[in-house]
Amino acid sequence: MVKGALFIKSLRDIKKSKSQFISIFVMATLAVFIMTGLDSIWYTVEKHSNNMYQATNLSDMWVTVANPSEQQMWGIGKIEGVELVEKRFTANADTDLPGRPTLQVYALDGPGTLDQPSLQKGKFGKSGGAVLDSKFAEAHNLKIGDYISIKLNGIWVRLQIDGTALISEHVFAVKNSAAITPNHSDFGFIIIRTNALESIYGQKIYNQISVKTAPDVDLTSVVQEAAAFVGDNLIGITLQKDSGSVSSVNSRIQQFKTLSLVFPVLFLLVTALITQSTMVRMVENQRPQIGILKALGYSKGSILWHYTSYGVIVGVLGSILGLLTGPNILGRIMIYQLNLTMEAYSIKINYLNFLFVLIIILICTGGVSFFACRQLLNDSPSVLLRDKMPKSGKRVFLEKIPSVWQKMKFSSKLIARNMIKNKGRLIMSTIGVMGCTGLIISAFTVRSTLSEIGDYTYGTTFTFEQKIILDTAKTNSKYLKNLDLDGITQQIEESAIQVIFPDGVQKMEPISITTKESPLIHLQSIDGTPVYLPENGVLLTRKLCRERGINKGDVIGIKLTGKGYVYVPVAEIAYVASGQGIYMTDTYWESLGETFKPTSLMVKWNSQPDMKFLESDIVADLATRESMQEGLSSSLGVVNFAVMFLIVIGASLAFVVLYNTGVLNFVERTRDLATFRVLGFHHEEIRYLVLVENYFSLFLGMLSGIPVGRFMSWIIASSIDERLDLLGNISLRDVLISGAMTIFFSFIVNRIIADKMKEIDIFEALKSVE
Amino acid sequence: MDFITFENVDREYKIGGSVIKAVDDISFSLSSGTLNVVLGQSGAGKTTLLNLLGGMDSPTSGKIVVNGKEISGMSEYDLTEYRRSQIGFVFQFYNLVPNLTALENVQLAEEICPDTLGAEEMLKRVGLENRINNFPSQLSGGEQQRVSIARALAKNPQIVLCDEPTGALDSETGRKVLRLIRDVSKDLGKTVIIVTHNAPISEMADTVLHMRDGKIAKVQFNEHPKDVEEIAW
Repeated sequence: MVKGALFIKSLRDIKKSKSQFISIFVMATLAVFIMTGLDSIWYTVEKHSNNMYQATNLSDMWVTVANPSEQQMWGIGKIEGVELVEKRFTANADTDLPGRPTLQVYALDGPGTLDQPSLQKGKFGKSGGAVLDSKFAEAHNLKIGDYISIKLNGIWVRLQIDGTALISEHVFAVKNSAAITPNHSDFGFIIIRTNALESIYGQKIYNQISVKTAPDVDLTSVVQEAAAFVGDNLIGITLQKDSGSVSSVNSRIQQFKTLSLVFPVLFLLVTALITQSTMVRMVENQRPQIGILKALGYSKGSILWHYTSYGVIVGVLGSILGLLTGPNILGRIMIYQLNLTMEAYSIKINYLNFLFVLIIILICTGGVSFFACRQLLNDSPSVLLRDKMPKSGKRVFLEKIPSVWQKMKFSSKLIARNMIKNKGRLIMSTIGVMGCTGLIISAFTVRSTLSEIGDYTYGTTFTFEQKIILDTAKTNSKYLKNLDLDGITQQIEESAIQVIFPDGVQKMEPISITTKESPLIHLQSIDGTPVYLPENGVLLTRKLCRERGINKGDVIGIKLTGKGYVYVPVAEIAYVASGQGIYMTDTYWESLGETFKPTSLMVKWNSQPDMKFLESDIVADLATRESMQEGLSSSLGVVNFAVMFLIVIGASLAFVVLYNTGVLNFVERTRDLATFRVLGFHHEEIRYLVLVENYFSLFLGMLSGIPVGRFMSWIIASSIDERLDLLGNISLRDVLISGAMTIFFSFIVNRIIADKMKEIDIFEALKSVE
Repeated sequence: MDFITFENVDREYKIGGSVIKAVDDISFSLSSGTLNVVLGQSGAGKTTLLNLLGGMDSPTSGKIVVNGKEISGMSEYDLTEYRRSQIGFVFQFYNLVPNLTALENVQLAEEICPDTLGAEEMLKRVGLENRINNFPSQLSGGEQQRVSIARALAKNPQIVLCDEPTGALDSETGRKVLRLIRDVSKDLGKTVIIVTHNAPISEMADTVLHMRDGKIAKVQFNEHPKDVEEIAW
C-alpha cells in the first residue's frame, strides 16, 4: 500500500506540527461556521417567509381607498398583469385587555382567497367568528371559546375566538414607529368576517383593494395605472415589498446576506496565511525527505498531492465541522433573536453557498500548500538530499542608513532582520490583529449607536413628557389649543400618505404634521445645527432622501384627500434617527386645502399631570417618553448577543494568529535561543526578542483595525433596520476599549508562549545539527 | 588555592522509569590559567560535566566551587549571571546566530557583559578582520569556529569551555583552532577546559581528566604539554 504509507506520514506530520494545523483547522472551521451560520439565517427566513406568503396567498399590492366601488375593482382587475382583485377592511382597534393593547383588525369576505390566515388552532367560519393572533393569544392567555372586546368606530364589540392563526403581514409587525421589535402582548391582529362590521357601521364596509399580480410583472406600471384608475379617491398604494412586515423581513434577509459575505473574508484570509507559513516551513524542513521520496521513485504528482493533502485534509475537516455547527448553533441562536413569527423555524442550509465557501477553503488550504511545495519539486533528488541549504542572513533596508543602523541595539537589529525574513508571518499576525480590533470596534460601535439612538430620539429630538394619543372623533386642533393645560403642549398629526418621488416611485410614506412653533420636537441637521419646519414646502428625513436620491429643492408629489397630487418642494432635510418620513407645518398643510387633525398631543407638564384631562374621553392612549425610549432599547438584547459573538470571534482571530507567530518564532529559533541562554541572557531578555514581533504586529494591526472597524460598523449599522438612520460612527472611547481588549488578548497569548519558551531544553537544542 | 573544585558531585537523570547517573561521585580540582582536557568515550559523562561547570545544569548532589563561589545550588537567575560574567562557550557546531554577521555575533555576547575585550579586537585576534561583515552562511566551518572562539573570549570570561571544538572540522583546520584556543587563552590568562573523545588532543593539556561511565578514571598531569603541531590524529 504505497498510498497508505504516505497517508500515515501526512497524519504523523500533522500531529508533529499540531499547533499550526489546529490553527488552520480552527480558522477554516470559524470561516465556515460564520458563513454557513449567517447564511442559514437569511436562507431559512427567506424560505419560510416565502412559503408562508404563498400558503396564505399574500397580495402583491394593496390599494387603500375609502369604499372601493365595483367599477374601481373591475378597472384594476383589467390592468395587464393583474390576476385577482378582492377587497377587505382593515383598521386598528383598542381592546379591553390589561395594558390596552392594540389589535389590527382585518375583515375578510367569506369567499375571499387573498391574505388568508394560517390557522394554528380552531377554525375560521365562512360567515362569522374571529381568528386571533396566536402569539397575542398566548401573551394574554386567551383560549378558543374565550371572548375579546374591541373598539371600532367608537363602538365596543364582543367577539368569540374561534381559532388562532399566523398571517404573512405579521411576521414582523410593530405597533408604531416608536417600536423597534414586535411586542406580542401590546400589538397583534384579529381577523373577522365583513358581516360582523354590519353591527358597527350599519353595513359591510371596505377600505382596501387587495391585488394579486402575475409573477414578473412590472409593478411600477401597475401602480401607476391603478392610481390613475382610482383617481382622486385614492388614499395610497402599498406594494408587498414595502409593506411593514415584508419589508422588515426583507431588510433582515439583506442584512444577513451582507454579513455572511463580509465576515468570513477575514477568516479565509488568515486561513490562507497560516497555511502558507506552515507549509512553506514544513516543505523546507522536509527537503531531504522529498529527495528520498523522489529517489524511491515517487512521481512528482504523488509527492505534490502528498503535501497538498495536508491542507486539504485539515480544510475539509474544518469545513465539515463548520457546516455542522454554524447553522445549528449560530443560525439557531440568532434566528430566534430576530423575533419573527413564522410557521416553522427548522434551519435550512444553503448548500450552494457552502459548496462555494468549501471551494474557497480548499484554495486557501490545499491550493496554498500546493504552491508551497511546487518549487522544490523541480530539484533533482541528489540536490534535495544534500545538506540543507544554510539559512542565510539577509540585510534589511535600514542598514543602508548607517546613522540609524549603527545606533540600534543588537537585539533590535536581530529583531529587524528576523521580521524581514518572516514577512509573511508578520502580515498574517497583523491581519489577524486588525480583524480582531476591527470586529471589536464594530461590536461596540453598533452597541453604542443603538443605545445613543434612544438618547438622541428621546433626549434631543423629542422633549415631551407624555404623548397623548387622541380620539380624533372627539377633538380638533382648536379645542386642544384652548385646553389651557398647565404645561407646554404641541399638537401633531401622524399618518401615512401616498407620495410620488422624482425617481417615479409611488408609495406610502409616514407623514407628521405639526405646528410651526415646535417646543417639543427639535429637528437637527446631521452636523447638529437646528432645522426648522419650512413655511413653504416639506421637510424630509435624511435616510428617506438618500434612498430615493432626493436633494434639497427637489419636488415630490403628495396625494391629497379626495383630490389629485400636489407637487411640493423639499425645502429642508433633517437627520432623524428613528422614524423616517415627511414633516410639514399645519399651516402649510392647510394651505394645500387639507384640514389639520391632530392625532396626538405632546405635553411637558409644569408640575403635576392634569389627571382630569388625562381621564377625559378624548384621550385614547398615553405613552411616556421613558416608556417609548425603553421600547426602543428593548431591541438591545439582540445587539448584546451580537456584540458577544463579534468579540468572541475577534478574540479567536487574535489568539490564533498571535499564538502561531509566537510559537513559530521560537520553535524555528530554538537553537538560537538556546545559544542566547548559554551566553547568559535571562529568560526575560529572550522573551523580549521573541515577542517583540508580536507587539509590532499588535501595534500595526490595531492601527489598521480602526478603519476596518469603521467600515464594518458602517455596514452593520446601515443594515440593522430600515426605519433607523444609524451613522455607525466610531467613538474614541470604543476604539480605546477595543484596543485595550486586543492588548489584553495578546497579553494572554504572550504569557502562554513565554511559559512554553521556558521548556526549551538547551542541551538538546545545541547538540544536533538541525 | 584551587580555581575550580568538584566535591562528590552527582548528576542523575530520570529517563522513563530508570535513573541514569551521568556523573557519578566526581571530585577533582583545577587551577587557574591552565589548559585542561576531559577525555572519554561518548556517554562517559563529559558533556554533563561541562554543563555542570558552565552553569547550564545543576548537580543532584555534591558541591561545585568556582573562583571561591559555590555554584551548585545557585538559582536559575544567578546561574545565568554566572554564565554571563564567568563563562565562554565554544561548541562543536559553532552555534552562531545565522541572522547576524560575524561581528554582530561577537557583539551579541558583548552586549550583555560589563567588561569586554572588544568585538573587532577579538576578531582580529582570531584572524578574521577581513570577514567581520560576513554572515555565518558565507564562512567556512573553521572560520565559523573562529568566530565562535572570538565570541567566547570577547566576554572576557574566567573560564572557556569547549565541547568537541574540532569535532566538525578536518584535522588541519582543527589543529589551527586548537592552537588559537591555547594561544589566546594563555595570552589572556584564561582557564580552558576542552571536552573531547579524541585522545591525542589531551597531549597538549596541563591536566587530563579521563572519564568512564560517569566517573573520573584517572587524572593525568602533563609536565610538558606538547605543542599543537606535534599532535597527530
